[in-house]
Formats: sequence, C-alpha cells, structure tokens
Amino acid sequence: MGHAGLKLRPGQWGMILALVAIAAALAIARPVFLTLPNLVNLIRQISINGILAVGVTAVLLTGGVDLSLGSLVALTGVIAASFAHPGRYPPAVPVLMGVLAGAGCGAINGWIVTKGRVAPFVATLGMMTAARGLALVLSGGKPVSNLSSQFTWMGSSDVAGIPVPSLIFSGVALASHVFLNNLKVGRHIYAVGGNENAARASGINVNAVKMLAYTTCASLAGLAGVVLASRITTGQPNAGVGYELDAIAAAVIGGTSLSGGVGGVGGTILGALLMGVINNGLDLVNVSSYYQQIVKGAIIVGAVWMDRSRER
Amino acid sequence: MSGKRVRWMRGAALAAVVACLSCGRGPREPVGKPIVIGVSLLNLSSEFIVMLKDSMDAKARELGVELIVNDAQRDAATQVRQAENFIAQKVDAIILNPCEFEASSPAVDKALAAGVAIVNVNSETRSVPTAFVGSRDEESGRLAMEYIAGRLRGRGNVLMMHGFMGQAAQIKRDQGARETLAKDPGLKLLADQTAEWDRAKAMTLMENWIQSYGPRIDAVFAQNDEMALGAVIALEQAKRKDKVVVTGVDAIADALQAVKQGRLDATVFQDAKGQGSTAVETAVKIVRKQPYAKEAFIPFQLVTRENVDRFQPR
Repeated sequence: MGHAGLKLRPGQWGMILALVAIAAALAIARPVFLTLPNLVNLIRQISINGILAVGVTAVLLTGGVDLSLGSLVALTGVIAASFAHPGRYPPAVPVLMGVLAGAGCGAINGWIVTKGRVAPFVATLGMMTAARGLALVLSGGKPVSNLSSQFTWMGSSDVAGIPVPSLIFSGVALASHVFLNNLKVGRHIYAVGGNENAARASGINVNAVKMLAYTTCASLAGLAGVVLASRITTGQPNAGVGYELDAIAAAVIGGTSLSGGVGGVGGTILGALLMGVINNGLDLVNVSSYYQQIVKGAIIVGAVWMDRSRER
Repeated sequence: MSGKRVRWMRGAALAAVVACLSCGRGPREPVGKPIVIGVSLLNLSSEFIVMLKDSMDAKARELGVELIVNDAQRDAATQVRQAENFIAQKVDAIILNPCEFEASSPAVDKALAAGVAIVNVNSETRSVPTAFVGSRDEESGRLAMEYIAGRLRGRGNVLMMHGFMGQAAQIKRDQGARETLAKDPGLKLLADQTAEWDRAKAMTLMENWIQSYGPRIDAVFAQNDEMALGAVIALEQAKRKDKVVVTGVDAIADALQAVKQGRLDATVFQDAKGQGSTAVETAVKIVRKQPYAKEAFIPFQLVTRENVDRFQPR
C-alpha cells in the first residue's frame, strides 16, 4: 500500500502512449497545438475538471460515487459570487464561503450515505437536484454578476506565466496525493474501498473515512465553483451541468476503479489531461459539432480499452 | 400515530384540497363575469419566461381579466395535463408557452376539440392554434450578422458559436445568420462550433479559436449573450478585444451592461414584454369575438452603444 499515486502502474503506460499518439497527430494536423501559448491555454482549461476529478477520486476509492459535483459547482459559484461584489468583503471571504458551502453539502452527502445507509448513487443524485434548486433560489434564476477585480483575478491571471487556476489545480493534486499515500487516513480510504468488512474488522472507522471522503470531494467542488465563477466573472445557477460525469470519466480513464480500492491521483491527472487535449484539439482542427461528440466518445472508450488490455 | 388517525388525516387533507379546487374560482356568474385565461408557461426559472409572465400579469390587470398561471417546468406531459385542467375548469381561453414542438401539440388539439380558444406564445407547436404570438428567430441571426457586415464593411472573417445543436433557436438563428453571409461574398465563415449556450464553454472555445486563427479573426457571432460574454472575456484576456467585433442575442442584463461599457458590440433584444401583452390582448379579443391577428410577430431590435439606454436592464 502507499504506492498507488504518482508512480505509474504498468497499465498506465498505455494511457501515456494514447496521449502521446493523439498529441502527435494533433501537432501534425495543426502545428499551433504544440506552441507554448496553446499549452498554457490547455493547462488552464483542464484545471476545473482536474480539481473535480481529484476530489471524486477519493470518493471512488471508497467504492462510492458523487453525482452532485456539477450542481455544487453552480451552487458554490453563486454563493461565492454573492460575497464578491466590489468593495464588500476581502476576496478571501467569497473563496472561503464557496469552499465551506461545498464542505457542508459534502458532509450531508456523507451523513446520508453512512448514517442513512442510502446508496451513494441515490444520496448524491438527491443532492444534485436539491443543490441545483438552491442555486436557482439563491440567485433568483439570474446570473450573479458585478464581481470585484480582486475576485476575478484568480480566474484570469498568470503567475510567472502559469495560469492561477492551474496553480490551484497543481496544489490540490499534490496535497491530495500526499493525503492519499502518506497519511494513515488516506490509506484507510483505499482499505475501505478494497474490502469494507475487512477494514471494519481491522479497527478502521469506516463511516468516519467515508464522511471525510465525501466532505473533501465536495469542498473541492466548492473550490472549483469559486474558480469557475472567477473565470467567467459571474455566478451562474445553471453552470456545471454534466461536470460530474467529466470528472468521473477523468478518474476512470486514469485507472481509478468504479468499484473502489484501486487508483490514484496520478492517473486522474493523466485522465483530465487526455480529456483536455481532446477538447482543445478538436476545436483547433475544427471538427464539426456533431462529429466532435462521436470522436470524443470513441477516444475515451478506446483509451481505456487500450489501457486495460495492456494491464491483463 | 395510529393507522386510523393517519387515514382520517389523509381524508381531511383530501377534502381540503378538493374544497380548495372548487372554491378557487367560485360559482360562475352569468352576467358581467370577468374573462378567465389559463396560462401554461415553459419554465418559471428562466429569466425570459418570468419577464413574459410579468408582462401578461400587467396586461391582464389593465384589461380586467383573470389569469391562472401554471409552470410546466419544461415538461410537455405536465403542460398537456395543465391544459386539460384548464378545459375542465371551463376557462374562456388558454395561453400556451409550448415546451416542445411535437409533445406539446396535444394541448392545442384538446383545447380546440373542447371549443376553447388557444394562443401560442414565443414558440410554436405542430398543431395550429387559434392564434400565434412570437418572434421570428431567424430575424435575430440576420440582425446580428448584418451588424457585423456593416462594421466590417462587408469584408472579413467571422466565427459563429451555436447553441445546443438541434434546438429550434439554434437552427433558426443559424439559418438567419447564414442567409446574410450568403448575401455578402466578402464575409467568410472561418469556423462554427457549439458552446451549448454556456458562458464557460464559450470561453474555452474562444481561447482555442484564438490559438487556431489568431489575428485572422474579425468578428464573432454568438447565438446567445451568455456565449458572447464568454467570447468577450477570452478576447479581453488575450488582449484582442479591440480588433474583434462580438455580437450576441437576447439582451440579458449582463449583456446590456457590457454593451454600455463598450465591451460587447451588440446584442439583439427579444421583446418578452411585447409578446406577453400581445398574447393576452389577442386572447381577450378572441373571447370578445373582436377581429384579431392570427399570427402576430413582435420584431427583434438591435441593441448597440447608441441605443442601449432605451433597454432597461431588468
């Protein structure tokens, strides 16, 4: 245990191979793909999905799932935005409010899953609907705009040439990696997902571990909501539709098992990167909107297939 | 709580509901009774539909008619059920803001079969209602693209952002824009792609386009304001906004603000107020057996920095 993170499993070479092959094809089709400005562009664009995917990895590792992430992005974005009007609060306040709101919803998810023994799919589906509703109520159905420039700085600026959202994503990924692999509680997450009964028998507080996973995951959704609001300079009650599936897809593409216990942050980063490269590349090549969806679906399934067949 | 008591309470609750349903409208007075119009709206969590409802309420107060407003929450089956309830309540007319072209059609058929006049507002159904009040979505695409053609003096490269592919508004705005492009051989459609009406997706798409086409981009037509604003933010961050003309459609509050600040070049105003009040007017005319227009088209209006003050941010 403890080596599931950034160190690559043999199978992940398949994923890297797919990534390199696609990148090479794109670079030939559109040389602009490999230029520095586009690569900066690319790492900025994957940040939000990346933050969500790292969070959902923790939940997937316990054998659960979180479908509420997209709605939480909208809800926390709206909450953050309503504290981010110019001249009201220092910019740390909206950031904190967004993350705390996410944490609160995650704690509710975890509580329903552990105390209520409701299947994670159902519990978080309920949260998905309720959080979207709350976002609409709080915003009156309208985007929350007129945000301070200190707040929107986060989504629009660079530090030493690296976009701030990418720095946040890197920080989140690094912290989660250390958390999952070097802390006892992180290894407990793997144990619970691997075999819940065995974990319980060996004295692990399974419910506490799950609570932690859901709360962490939703807090990161809160952070992603804040970054998105900052990037698009408004809190949108209808933002984030389908983001949960993109996040789960990135984690699963990166080798995290939907049945728990297997996977890690390193793979998830690769998964998010692959999805980002596909999105960016298809726009650069200007594949028609209809075909984009087909190509995207085929590449995602193909990459995972290649990965899994090398693993066997 | 005992089972018996629960049953009793359920009975009481049911009785209360039934009583409410029947008392809601009271006995029908034979002479001088106010006209009652049942309204089924697409979705009251959309800003535009709320505007539509507010203007209907205002017009109803002015004309002294009563509105019963239901929210179909984007579900055509709910909408058809609401129409059936209106018919059972013997309303004088129905105003339908259809959820779907096909699936909402039974609402129209049932009303006509029951002899209740029905006015469709904002979007159409396959079944032909007593009257239709709305706007031609093609016109919005045409107005936006004509503005771009004017600004570019008929020569330049244009990008277009689509809404959800296959939705009526996307198809028609696309059609209107392409009609204008076809008339101006100097305008070239460099690329077109969907951003699904979404600001964040539009921003990502614009960033990718800037990488791909860079200085060749002269104008962007986004089929709604959310996407146009996403494009504006991406262009501003790439320090290219001063070289690119961006237009949207809908005239939402954020977009009007952006036009005022000179960040967004133009948007197209769809007149919710005009549509709502005309729908009520038409329904009342039909009930009073006065002459009415079978199809009333409320024109779109181009909003630029010069005339933006006439359009109130709501």
